[in-house]
Amino acid sequence: MATQTLSESPSLAPLFVKAALTQRGRRGDLPATAWRREGVVVDRGHLLAYQRVCGFTGGDILPHTYPHVLGFPLQVALMADRSFPLPLPGLVHLENQITVHRRLTADDRLDVTVRAEGLRPHVKGRLVDLVTEVEVDGVRVWDGRSTYLRRGPGDVDASPGDQAPPLPEGPPAGVIRVPEGQGRAYAALSGDVNPIHLHALSAKAMGFPRAIAHGMWTAARTLAALEPRGNDASSSHLWFAKPVFLPSTVELVVDDESPVIVAGLRSVKDPAKPHLTLTLARP
Amino acid sequence: MATSPKPARPSSQPRRAAVIGGNRIPFARQNGAYARATNQDMLTAAIEGLVARHGLAGEQVGEVAAGAVLKHSRDFNLTRESVLGSSLSARTPAYDVQQACGTGLEAAILVGNKIALGQIDSGIAGGTDTASDAPIAVNEGLRETLLTLNRAKTPGQRAKALTHLRPGQLVPEIPRNVEPRTGLSMGEHMAQTAKQWGITREAQDEIAAASHQNLAAAYERGFFDDLVTPFLGQTRDQNLRADSTVEKLAKLTPVFGRGEGATMTAGNSTPLTDGASAVLLGSDEWAAEHGLPVLAHLVDAQTAAVDYVTGNEGLLMAPAYALPHLLERQGMKLQDFDLVEIHEAFAATVLTTLAAWESEEFCRDRLGLDAPIGVLDRSKLNVNGSSLAAGHPFAATGGRIVASLAKMLHEKGSGSRGLISICAAGGQGVMAILEAA
Repeated sequence: MATQTLSESPSLAPLFVKAALTQRGRRGDLPATAWRREGVVVDRGHLLAYQRVCGFTGGDILPHTYPHVLGFPLQVALMADRSFPLPLPGLVHLENQITVHRRLTADDRLDVTVRAEGLRPHVKGRLVDLVTEVEVDGVRVWDGRSTYLRRGPGDVDASPGDQAPPLPEGPPAGVIRVPEGQGRAYAALSGDVNPIHLHALSAKAMGFPRAIAHGMWTAARTLAALEPRGNDASSSHLWFAKPVFLPSTVELVVDDESPVIVAGLRSVKDPAKPHLTLTLARP
Repeated sequence: MATSPKPARPSSQPRRAAVIGGNRIPFARQNGAYARATNQDMLTAAIEGLVARHGLAGEQVGEVAAGAVLKHSRDFNLTRESVLGSSLSARTPAYDVQQACGTGLEAAILVGNKIALGQIDSGIAGGTDTASDAPIAVNEGLRETLLTLNRAKTPGQRAKALTHLRPGQLVPEIPRNVEPRTGLSMGEHMAQTAKQWGITREAQDEIAAASHQNLAAAYERGFFDDLVTPFLGQTRDQNLRADSTVEKLAKLTPVFGRGEGATMTAGNSTPLTDGASAVLLGSDEWAAEHGLPVLAHLVDAQTAAVDYVTGNEGLLMAPAYALPHLLERQGMKLQDFDLVEIHEAFAATVLTTLAAWESEEFCRDRLGLDAPIGVLDRSKLNVNGSSLAAGHPFAATGGRIVASLAKMLHEKGSGSRGLISICAAGGQGVMAILEAA
């Protein structure tokens, strides 16, 4: 596989514009090019801001989900490129899987590679995985797999894949108040400036009644509630369900009685309605 | 689910609590490397380092006692929250302690006493403070208006509450480093006492230079390798100046006291600092079961307080009053100690304390002793540096000293004894004796 190596993190706003302007007429196979950045230095100010916004303890340890935001600009660069067969606008983040091979700290120099794989049918359209691999000195330390859905003609026979376990029942472990500005706060950190997250008006323009929280913020916030369990070697699988509208209050539920922790966020008004389900396994 | 350790067995015969190890993060100057770190961040980091060093992940220790002096109202359960954020078992109970600058040492004494009584078999004592991420309260008028607004149930009530808003309410309440009853800063109090005892500028600068040089030398020979865990990119105490000399310190302008007699500078006073520390204590049996060597035992402890409010005694003189009780109980003389750690709130604090113990008049009139406590061999004093060089995040200082002294005594050999003296706001003092295992 060919590799396109970038010397610095790509600027995302122009890429989103490019992706929007070139969305028509995309077809074909996934590009055979991986996008890579080498020797990425963690900006401690950014890390601390991320830890604050997501609820992790401030410090040197990279949260379970932090490398995702380092790889995200490469994901956008790859998907905005004309060689990517699906239009970026409208892609829905359905699932995310992360494996932390060892505890990462702000002192690690990270080589981040992103590639696309697994273009496949889904009942509601087509799925693609954006795979992020992080290495330190040639050793794999972190893997991410973000699964996106392109809505369209579905395939009723498509394999459903791993399904989310049922959310734990019973009283909530906690409530999380998500303020109106949460989308803007996370957009500033992640570079994900999708208008559906920024403001009620921009979200309305995109067909949403209100702005919604970033899925990866809800995931990070939930993992932060489980800290430090995701900091060391561990694997998570996240399923995004109903969006969290801003502002709102959601309930955190956790079942950590068994080796694989199941946690999630659910609606206060309708506990049967999950926003997010995640499993966290540790070796 | 993890099973609980077997319950500690209360005993009518006290046993000595063992100091097994310690950990702290490097201390940073106010608005320095930890400008945006919270007390909880730092205390969690100190505990996590301790847990990692002693293989306690998932372990339920008997109790964790720690505290902070400058504390946000949201940190009402600071220590318990830090435990929940650490790798310790979530079933480890915790409580907060606050005795101003004596917090860390008091926490160690409290944990040690519970171990001595057999109520717990292991425990962690700690402390954290930030002078950077300080609690700023909203203006009281604004606070009341906001609380009223919060209580309002109808739009009319809300509108009425809002009419109480005033531009002047935007001025926040910032905590000030003054004694509430006197309105004087601690430095101003100390300057008064230093003047009263005739403490010279030169003597203070000598203490300060020695503190920096001793701390730097201790870092150089790796003394802190198993006592300090890096945090936020900081690997050594930010305030440490290895090249500090009496000559350089002599150039600084006094900041406390007024006019001719002013001797206290930024160089011979501790700076405002951020940091945290933690100490692992346990019974000898618990340590053996966990394969952990014992550094020292907590032998005895004593607190004291002075009435400084009307100026009868110096604000930071309480440790001078605590010592005779310890000496009498232990049948010891000051000169019997192999090492002495006197917290350097200011260089002048150390010097006035030593001067008081040397003074026949003070020992007779104030302490009720027949003879002065006498002179301390300075080669035993703060041999690896103290707060002037390391900095002094208030509640973290006790843990720093307990862990360092335990290790120093252990290096000296079994049976060697050390004394810890810490002065605290409100005219208080905390002392403890450690003995090498």
